Amino acid sequence: MQLVAAELVESREILPGQWLQAFHAPALTVGSRAGQFVHIRPGDFSGLILRRPFSFNTVDRTTGVITIHFRAVGRGTAWFTRLRPGDRVDMLGPLGRPFEVDPRSRHLLLIAGGLGIAGVRMLVDDALRAGREVTLLFGAASAVEVYPSNLLPDEVEYVVATDDGSLGHSGYVTDLVPAYEAWADQAFACGPAPMLATLARLAAGRSARLGVARLGPKPGRGAGRSGGAARAALPGSPAARRKSFLQVSMEQNMGCAVGACLGCVVMDTSGVPQRVCREGPVFASDELDWEGGW
Amino acid sequence: MIGPAAVDLSLELPRGLRLDNPILVASGTFGYGVEYSEVVDIQRLGAICCKGTTLHARVGNRPPRVTETPAGMLNSIGLQNPGVDAVVRKYGPTWQGWHVPVIVNVAGESIDDYVEVAKRLDGVPGVAGIELNISCPNVGKGGLQFAIDAEAAGAVTAAVRRATELPLLVKLSPNVADIRPIARAIEAAGADAISAINTLSGIAVAPGRRRPLLGNVYGGLSGPAIKPVALRIVYEVAQVVDIPIIAIGGVAELGDVLDYLAVGAVAVQVGTVLFADPTLPVRLIDELADECRRLGLDSYLPLVGTALPKRSSPRSASSAKGVEYRP
Repeated sequence: MQLVAAELVESREILPGQWLQAFHAPALTVGSRAGQFVHIRPGDFSGLILRRPFSFNTVDRTTGVITIHFRAVGRGTAWFTRLRPGDRVDMLGPLGRPFEVDPRSRHLLLIAGGLGIAGVRMLVDDALRAGREVTLLFGAASAVEVYPSNLLPDEVEYVVATDDGSLGHSGYVTDLVPAYEAWADQAFACGPAPMLATLARLAAGRSARLGVARLGPKPGRGAGRSGGAARAALPGSPAARRKSFLQVSMEQNMGCAVGACLGCVVMDTSGVPQRVCREGPVFASDELDWEGGW
Repeated sequence: MIGPAAVDLSLELPRGLRLDNPILVASGTFGYGVEYSEVVDIQRLGAICCKGTTLHARVGNRPPRVTETPAGMLNSIGLQNPGVDAVVRKYGPTWQGWHVPVIVNVAGESIDDYVEVAKRLDGVPGVAGIELNISCPNVGKGGLQFAIDAEAAGAVTAAVRRATELPLLVKLSPNVADIRPIARAIEAAGADAISAINTLSGIAVAPGRRRPLLGNVYGGLSGPAIKPVALRIVYEVAQVVDIPIIAIGGVAELGDVLDYLAVGAVAVQVGTVLFADPTLPVRLIDELADECRRLGLDSYLPLVGTALPKRSSPRSASSAKGVEYRP
C-alpha cells in the first residue's frame, strides 16, 4: 500500500457514460494483482471528501500504466471525467485481496455484469499470459452497453447476453453459465448483487450436478478450522479462495479502504461482517451469506 | 528564521497523559492504529483514539453504512467491534511497543457496561487513557442517550471515574439544545478532559427515493460540513469548564486547528478528512510548529483561547462558570 501521484495519460468515453482512463503510475504496477483496487482522491475544490475505489482494469508493467473503467454516476465520477492528460491525481493502492487462480486450473470462466467487467478485466490478461483458456460471459441491459470486443485480447472467448435481446443471448448472463460449468475449472465474477447471488447458488449446486468436485477439498478435509490439519484452508485465506469454484468481487459503499472505518462490510456465513476493502473485495462465494442475513 | 527554532508542541493532560503534540486522530476513523501504518508515520501523532469498544462483541449495523454528503459523510457503523477483551488481547501488546499513546474509546448501553469495560482497560500496558462515547442509548433510561441528559452524563462519568485511574476523556454529542449543563456535569463528575464533538444525527435518501439510504436509516454526520457547529460548541464549553477541551469536527487544514485553539481547545482530533488525506495529521504537526516559529512562539499554548470573551475574573472562579448565553 502506498500513496502515489499518478498522471492521466488518456481518457475516453468507451460507452455512453462509461469512461476508460489510463494513468502513469509505475509504482502501482509492481505487485498489484487482478481483483485489487486503488482508492483515488477527487479534487478538493468541490466539497468531495471521500476517495473513490476503482478496480485495476488493466496493468501494464512495461509502460507503468494502469487503467480504470467507471460509469459517471455522481459528482465524484463526474469530476474524474473532467480530468485532462497531464493532470495528476492522488492514488492509494494496491488495496484488498486479489483473485486466486489454482495453479492446476486450465479453463477460467469469467462472468461480468455491466460495469463488473472492470473487476475481472485484468484477470483476462493475467490468465492468458499464464497460458490458460478464458471464456468471458458478459451481460448488459442492451447492445449499447456491451463492452467493446476490440478492448479484449483476441484469445478470449467472448459471449454476450442482453436483457432486451438486442445482442447475443436474450436474457441474463447467468443463463449462460450452466453450459460452461463442466468445462470451467474455476469461475470469477463481478457485477450486480443479484447476479452474484444467482451465481453463488449455481456454484453451490455444481458439485452435485457434475457428480465430482474437481478441485474442491478432499473428503475429510472440510472447510474450517476444525479440520486441524496444518494445510487446511482457513476461512478467508488465499487458499480458501483458490479452492473455491467461484470467486466474486464485491462492491460496497466505502470510506477509508484500509480497514479502519468498517464502512464497507458484507456478512459471511458465520455471522461476522467482513470488510470489502480488506478481507475482500474478492471472496470465495461460499464464504458469504447471500440471504443478506443481518 | 524568525523566533526560536525549537518549538515545543507537547501537551500535558491531567493524570500524566503527555502528548508530543496536540494533533490526535479521532475514534472510528483510524481503526486500532495499525491499519494506516503503511502510509502514515503513526508514532508522530499526538495520540490515537481507537475504534469504539464495548464489553461484548458487536456485529454493527446493516450496510450501506457510509455515504458522502456535501463536504462531509454520514456513517452508521453501529459500533462494530470484537469486544474489550479481544481488543486488549489483539492490540494491547502492539500498543505497548508504540511511542504514540493510544486512547481507547469506550461505549456501552448501561453504566455497568461502561464501568466493566473501564475496569478491564485499567492497568493494561499500552492503554494510555479512555475516551467515553456517551452518545449511546441508555437502556436503563428507556434508550435516552447519556449524552443528551446532564444527570446521566454525569452519572456515567462519575461511575467510570471510580473504576479507573486512567486519564478520562468524555466525548460530547452536539445533538442537544444546550451543551453547557452537560459539560459542567461531566467536569463535576471527575472527567480529565472533554472531547467535542461527536457526529450530528442525519439521514440520506437512497437512489430511486423509495427508502432512506443507510441500512440503519440514521447516521452521524462528520467532516468539514460540521466545523461551524463544533466550533460553536467548543466556544461555549470553554467558557463553562476548566478542564482541557480536545476539539473534533472537520479539521482539514492548519487554519481549522488554529480556529479550534482560538475558541479554547488545547488539542484537536483529525477524523473524516484523513480518509481522503491520510498524511494530513502528520503534516498539521509540522505546519503548527512552523506557524509558532513564524509568530516567534516557543509553544502553541498562547494561541489557545484568543477568540474567547475576556473574563473579568480568573478562570477557576465560580462566577466565570455562571456566565449565561445572551444572543
